[in-house]
Amino acid sequence: MEVEPIHEQVQEITEQVDSADLVVGVLAELGQEGLAALCDALQVLPGSPRVVVLRDDRAAKPDQSSVAEAKLSSSSCHLIPWPLLGSATPGTPVVGTSAAYQAVFAASEKFGARACCVIASTLETATPGWIRELAQPLVERNLDLVVPQYARRKFEGLLNSSIISPLMRCLYGKRIHNPMGPDLGLSRRLFQKMLGPERAAGVGGNPVHSLASVAPAALCENLEVCEVHLPARIYPPTDWMNISSLVAQILSPIFLDMERNAACWQRMRASVSVPAIGEPVLVSQDTGTVDISRMMESFQLGIRDLQEIWGLVLPPSTLLELRKLARLPSEQFRMPDELWVRIVYDFALAHRLRTLNRDHLLKSMTPLYLAWISSYAHDVETAGRTALEERLERLSVAYEVGKTYLVSRWRWPDQFNP
Amino acid sequence: MWSQVKQQLAESTARFLTRFANLLPGLAALVVALLISIVVGWMLAAVVRRLLSSMRFDDRLAHWGFPSVAEWSPMKSPILLVSRAIAALVIVTGFLIGIAAVDAEWTSQLARSVVAYIPNMLGAAVVLLVGSVVARFLARSVLIGAVNLNLHYARLLSLGVKWMVVVLTVAMALEHLRIAPGIVKLAFGILFGGIVITLALAVGLGSKDLVTRSLERDAQKASGDNLEEPFRHI
Repeated sequence: MEVEPIHEQVQEITEQVDSADLVVGVLAELGQEGLAALCDALQVLPGSPRVVVLRDDRAAKPDQSSVAEAKLSSSSCHLIPWPLLGSATPGTPVVGTSAAYQAVFAASEKFGARACCVIASTLETATPGWIRELAQPLVERNLDLVVPQYARRKFEGLLNSSIISPLMRCLYGKRIHNPMGPDLGLSRRLFQKMLGPERAAGVGGNPVHSLASVAPAALCENLEVCEVHLPARIYPPTDWMNISSLVAQILSPIFLDMERNAACWQRMRASVSVPAIGEPVLVSQDTGTVDISRMMESFQLGIRDLQEIWGLVLPPSTLLELRKLARLPSEQFRMPDELWVRIVYDFALAHRLRTLNRDHLLKSMTPLYLAWISSYAHDVETAGRTALEERLERLSVAYEVGKTYLVSRWRWPDQFNP
Repeated sequence: MWSQVKQQLAESTARFLTRFANLLPGLAALVVALLISIVVGWMLAAVVRRLLSSMRFDDRLAHWGFPSVAEWSPMKSPILLVSRAIAALVIVTGFLIGIAAVDAEWTSQLARSVVAYIPNMLGAAVVLLVGSVVARFLARSVLIGAVNLNLHYARLLSLGVKWMVVVLTVAMALEHLRIAPGIVKLAFGILFGGIVITLALAVGLGSKDLVTRSLERDAQKASGDNLEEPFRHI
């Protein structure tokens, strides 16, 4: 991917900065003060590395001119406006975000950086120090991938808790809590892999999404990975009108990566923890009841109208269990983890086999996902931190136990159909 | 006079018998050609069926994005459709060869008109195939989208869209085949309009709840008593 700075005013600075030790791409909204604090925080890294901070110039506010940002630059920290989100298209934010990551990797390669970080979140109670914590293991300990472990609230990051994290743990054998970041730190070795021609070509004509591919690429290559404890992320509110598009956009690159890395994950057996840096940050947990009626309604409608489509993907036994679940009253509704895990695996397999149009496939999974969230909400609505962790650990174990089912169906999709 | 009548009758009988006798070899050739083409067609169909079965053609066709072909096929098997189409083609060819043995001039006229009609038939078949694929795709898109929007009339909406496309496709195919174009246009207009009005009424009546809920949410937001939704997905 070719990335070029577009403002002539900063051309001179870009020419002066011919190399850097660390490149930081900022996709989150940081004001002038935040950017200055970021530079200050990074300057105290061991060895005083030369840092280039890439600020998405199209997301910049009108009062933050390129020249003003350039003035923040100091001798070892250069702030450069860069078109990070230039390729983002409306309605496909995940694709746009992946393009931004790729732009940061390309810029890091251009500056010959030893490592790069992408900052895409706003955190609660955050100081710029957290960005230093993300970068430090890369610079100081030569690790290859630094992923965040955000303080967790029970109803936040649900796609990650229910599918992404436990699926990656079971597939690649490493217990990473937020494998898709979005705040990440990568070594030169890893971002060069992400820029390689093999990844640029994609899988079967489908482009590889950087964000979903980072952790699997590192784990399949046996690179060094660690987690950093961070405060809770501030999540955007749920757009219920577009939840199915969101599910499809997130899961599609993950399932594509499963296809690409099949030889790697079929070898992996049990999972192990990765080293964690820092102390876990405690956050308050709400213990009130939550309204799940909208999600239950979606599941009931799915059972009524989508069985024909689910029948192409799920085995009869799973459909039967779903029909039984649909007859339960809302307060008794519980979806067993084993059932949910088999559903995820069957959808991953159908995605690989192109049983039906992939967009239809993933969007039709949304009512099932919402059903699992409803069941989970019943389980944890009064749970504290420990009970929450235990609940999610049970889910992860169910994914690991069900891996033999996935491997069998993946290898012999026609013969093995319970 | 009576002798003249007898003579005329004898001559006409002789003429008829002569012509019939002249036709007999041609008819026998037609029967033989038909029998041979039926046997060849049956054998060819069996070979094609076996070949396509070994290739798992039914699964592959669905895999290539044409699952709707199965719906149009006998016993839901595109293999049977292809093999029977080949057998029919061989039999029709045998029939034309047999007819040529009876009357060469008439056959050449028939063959010319059949050959001239083939592009229309092929065009209509392609229109039907594409239409059925598009109808199925759109119906699924609408069904899934409507379910994800919690619309209770999702299936009705999906069916309406499917039939709109099917009706349009069939009208286009009949237009291609030049079969009663005037009636087809009229029937298409009535059917299409009927489906659109039905859908509009169904959606309009069914949307009352949706609009009410939406207005309630807006009112809650405006009054500031909306409880914060705790669920965050990504």
